[in-house]
Amino acid sequence: MVIAVAIDENVEKIRELADGITYPVLIDADHVLTELYAISNVPTVVMIDEDDRISMPNWNAYGTDMFKDFTGIDSNQQHDRIRRWVREGDAGMSSEDAAGAVDDLSSDEEAARLHFRLATALRDRGDQAGCDRNFDRAAELAPHDWTIRRAMMPLRGGDPFGQEFFDLYEEWQEQGMPYHGVRGY
Amino acid sequence: MPNDTAVLESTGTITEAQLADLGWTLKPEGLCQDDTCVLVPDRAALVGDAGLDLAVLADLLDRPVAVDTEAGLAAVGAPRSVRRGAVDELRAPEFALPDLDGGLTALSDHRSKKRLLVAFSSW
Repeated sequence: MVIAVAIDENVEKIRELADGITYPVLIDADHVLTELYAISNVPTVVMIDEDDRISMPNWNAYGTDMFKDFTGIDSNQQHDRIRRWVREGDAGMSSEDAAGAVDDLSSDEEAARLHFRLATALRDRGDQAGCDRNFDRAAELAPHDWTIRRAMMPLRGGDPFGQEFFDLYEEWQEQGMPYHGVRGY
Repeated sequence: MPNDTAVLESTGTITEAQLADLGWTLKPEGLCQDDTCVLVPDRAALVGDAGLDLAVLADLLDRPVAVDTEAGLAAVGAPRSVRRGAVDELRAPEFALPDLDGGLTALSDHRSKKRLLVAFSSW
């Protein structure tokens, strides 16, 4: 089964995106999942087997080819891999390769997640200066983490699909496209 | 879940009641959660006149902490061992999150099934 988790607090937007979907769609406004699974961008997919073992760790897999021109990723091949895992239990990656394939979060990336939570908590209390201070700190601590930098754009009145995004994308490319997950699958 | 993340009122120290909210109790044998206790080698570093030192506490529990002293608010993360168990030992961390209808769904609600966890967003 699929469990979709929105690393997002915009419930109305997620409701629109989830229209017609029958599997659970969960809201992770506090980015708990990105801390527990060391997730740094979306979409990130994790295959979890019947015994709570991770068969395929953090994997940049897509539902459609909407972003294929941008990412070069063929979602059909990825779907075949998922079907094989569902039917035959073969995720296409040995557990030796899977263990340690995802880099743990650095202490800065860990702290960035906490400051992100402080920022939204302070905003909710009406402390805008405190909110800004903590968003700034989070961005400083994890400058190439999309779940920090891009996720805060709409929360600060920015456009996550606008110039700010393209600037960040360029910066991220220059840094060697850091991603907490497997590559080449 | 006591091991979950938390945001709490603090400028660097917390009360015993806040410690209880985090799921822990300070006992003579150490910091205890149910039947499990963590030794407190330097009790004086943890317990002061102002309360329990949050940084020392977080260190003992191997959980990250961030304090905004100006706002008097602190965030405590999940135990690092949970994430290390995922990246190094492929143990899927448990979580429980609200669904679109306001109910809570946990990974363990669908135990004994293959689960494809998909993290996505609108941003």
